[in-house]
Amino acid sequence: MADGASGSAERSVQVKLVLLGEAAVGKSSVVLRFVSNEFQANKEPTIGAAFLTQKCRLEDRVLRYEIWDTAGQERFHSLAPMYYRNAQAAVVVYDVTKASSLEKAKTWVKELQRQANPNIVIALAGNKVDLVQSSTAPAAAATSESEDEADDATATPGEAPASGESDSLRQVPREEAEAYAQEAGLLFFETSAKTGEGIVELFTEIAKKIPIDQILASSRGGAGRPGAAGARAGAQEGVNLEENAAKSKDSCNC
Amino acid sequence: MDVDAVVLGSGLTESIAAAALSKAGYKVAHLDVNPYYGGDNASLTADELVSWADERAAAGPSNPSYASAQRTKFTSISRSGSTLPQSRQYSISLSPAIIPSVGPLIDALIASGVSRYGGFKLLEKVAIYTGPGSVKPVPGSKEDVFKSKELSLLDKRRLMRFLMFAAGDFEGKKEFEGKEHTPFVQFLHQVFSLDGQTAAAIAYALAFCVSAAEPTLPALQRIRKYLRSTGRYGPSPFLVGHYGGLGEIAQGFCRTAAVSGAAYILAHNVFSIEIPSQSEEGRKYKIILEGLDESLTCDLLIASSGYPLPEFPRAVTNDSTDNESSNIHPIARAIVVVDRPLSFSSPEVPPASTASDAEGADTEEEEQTPQKQELDTALLVFPPSSLEGGSSVAVASVLVTGEGSISAPKGKWVLYLSLPLLEQTTRSAEALLRPYVDATLSLTVPDSASPTSTQPLFTLFYIEHPDLPPSSSAASESQIPSILAPLRSSTLLPEQADSATTNAETLFWKAVSALKAAGRRPKRRTGEGEEEGEEEVEVEGFWPPLDIVDDPEEDW
Ligand SMILES: Nc1nc2c(ncn2[C@@H]2O[C@H](COP(=O)(O)OP(=O)(O)O)[C@@H](O)[C@H]2O)c(=O)[nH]1
Ligand SMILES: [Mg+2]
Repeated sequence: MADGASGSAERSVQVKLVLLGEAAVGKSSVVLRFVSNEFQANKEPTIGAAFLTQKCRLEDRVLRYEIWDTAGQERFHSLAPMYYRNAQAAVVVYDVTKASSLEKAKTWVKELQRQANPNIVIALAGNKVDLVQSSTAPAAAATSESEDEADDATATPGEAPASGESDSLRQVPREEAEAYAQEAGLLFFETSAKTGEGIVELFTEIAKKIPIDQILASSRGGAGRPGAAGARAGAQEGVNLEENAAKSKDSCNC
Repeated sequence: MDVDAVVLGSGLTESIAAAALSKAGYKVAHLDVNPYYGGDNASLTADELVSWADERAAAGPSNPSYASAQRTKFTSISRSGSTLPQSRQYSISLSPAIIPSVGPLIDALIASGVSRYGGFKLLEKVAIYTGPGSVKPVPGSKEDVFKSKELSLLDKRRLMRFLMFAAGDFEGKKEFEGKEHTPFVQFLHQVFSLDGQTAAAIAYALAFCVSAAEPTLPALQRIRKYLRSTGRYGPSPFLVGHYGGLGEIAQGFCRTAAVSGAAYILAHNVFSIEIPSQSEEGRKYKIILEGLDESLTCDLLIASSGYPLPEFPRAVTNDSTDNESSNIHPIARAIVVVDRPLSFSSPEVPPASTASDAEGADTEEEEQTPQKQELDTALLVFPPSSLEGGSSVAVASVLVTGEGSISAPKGKWVLYLSLPLLEQTTRSAEALLRPYVDATLSLTVPDSASPTSTQPLFTLFYIEHPDLPPSSSAASESQIPSILAPLRSSTLLPEQADSATTNAETLFWKAVSALKAAGRRPKRRTGEGEEEGEEEVEVEGFWPPLDIVDDPEEDW
């Protein structure tokens, strides 16, 4: 943004990131918070897009996330293999107020290890922490790592639930989930799509772990769209259907 | 869950229709009995393919069920005992296809936005089998003809004249007058003096006729379509889809449907479908799935063939005018995995020897001496009677896909053989196709280290029977809401994808009018935040315009 990391020729790389987790844990909300800095209470946010894109600026490079939401196909375990293909990152979400959702998250991690890229970066996110924080302990600042201006997502800590029920709602102790994440080699965060807590760190820490050089090397000559053209085979020249149809800009949101 | 339409089966036609209905604003629930997308068009991993074959080869009860319908549809199944390592790196298609670069499927992919999910590769080469160990490349365009070293100058002139004719509005030309039903091979001979291998190449590898008896009109229509596809994305008119083609494309349409709100339920058997009773208000079908507490209710049922429907006087809407009636026959199929590539340059024929009689035009490209070109994605066509032990009436084809189409691991190729069974036969799929498999394997590039003949790593043979046409049981003009069945699609390699798309559009419009009759109108979300609501909309086309939402380019 303002300070623009211009100067050196910036390397921008496209990274496909998929979301997984039980229905209603807040996957779509997490994306919407990250991409548009919005939250819609008590209702399913409309993604309505093939995927959303969001840039993530690191010290020496810009990473452009192509974020695929499940579009509800997780509900009856009907995610297509296409969903996992060429994903370089995954966020597996559970709800800290629902113990069974962590168990579900573990099965999604296994599914990823079975279906996805072997070197995919996986993060585990315990969402809805706002529900287990008492109003006297406002959410910690979320943006310490961000180089760009802080989003104002954390500006509404006052909305946390009435102090009385704070910790009784929590069904997944942080330590338990963290221990599992460590053992399984996952990044771990507690987040709130509602307040914005942890959201930016989540995506920034994933970005830091993505083997960007490897991706750049393997997609050389490819169409460069991670989801579509083969990131697997590297040297394969794919056909871009829109190319001769209409020279559309590389818009993604429809 | 209450929806406007329930779609049973996720083959390509149903998946496109589900996406179009969902995008138009209808509520859709889309079901498949199988644990994978694509139904009979699915792309499977090597292990999934083995289970697919074994399930259909096993004996089972013949009560009406999806499983028994599949056992009737796929017969004569035999496979090699071996299984393939790196199973997940294979995407093996149950319905191999090549996709014309100009046509309904490509249009639908672009108009629906599904193209962003898929990758494609150009078909590299088409060749015809001309005798043991010998194949000839088939020119796909006028440039190819011009450059060809295989053709005599006279043949080039004739072929050029024919291609000019076929690419244009031939319907009004005198050459065509009264000839539309003439067998195409005969037409080529009578009108354009094209014979032998050249005529065979045109009829079987440009027009994709399945026999010498096919009439002229559809053959010419196909050639024109393919000529017009040439050059859109490259020298070949045809694309091959990544990850197994149609099955992957079906997944893309399903995802688009889901993104627009459709619910997806795989791997559940339909336990029962209850007929709406006359008296009931807002009559609906009630569908109960095995292992699912929640039932589904809908106004419209769209059921692919093989999904057993309850016996009741129903208004199955089907014009039963199958558009490609000529292509409704069983097909013997083989899927063969090899670890050596195919090459279509016949080693024993020196490059220029066939172009015996005088040329001049094409000598300038002498350096084009064919080397052993290893093919990744190619098509080989066996004309009738071209192979000892093969069919004397029908054309067999072999589609090869390798790593380049991201459907096989590096160093492996999947060969799809298909032979339409135009006559009754009692022979097994394996007996019918074995000669073709052997002839094809003899074209693989020999491994200098071990010059033994190529052995397949895996083989699967089976016969696929056409779907039964949906029974148009006397559509008692009852008040029962309709059940729609998709039309059968052509099984011709270059026609299937477009035929499925055209059928999907037909299905879509029938569904729209059936839903209208049931008083259901599509709704779309409108407004933002507080203003958000749903608004009834009109269906204006197969695909609504793609929203141009600007990229949220801002950084955070
Ligand atoms: N309090 C709170 N509610 C949330 C949070 N994230 C999502 N929700 C709510 O949880 C419900 C399900 O969220 P959604 O994003 O649709 O979940 P998905 O099914 O995993 O995509 C919605 O009502 C959201 O408003 C959060 O961090 N805190
Ligand atoms: Mg969601």
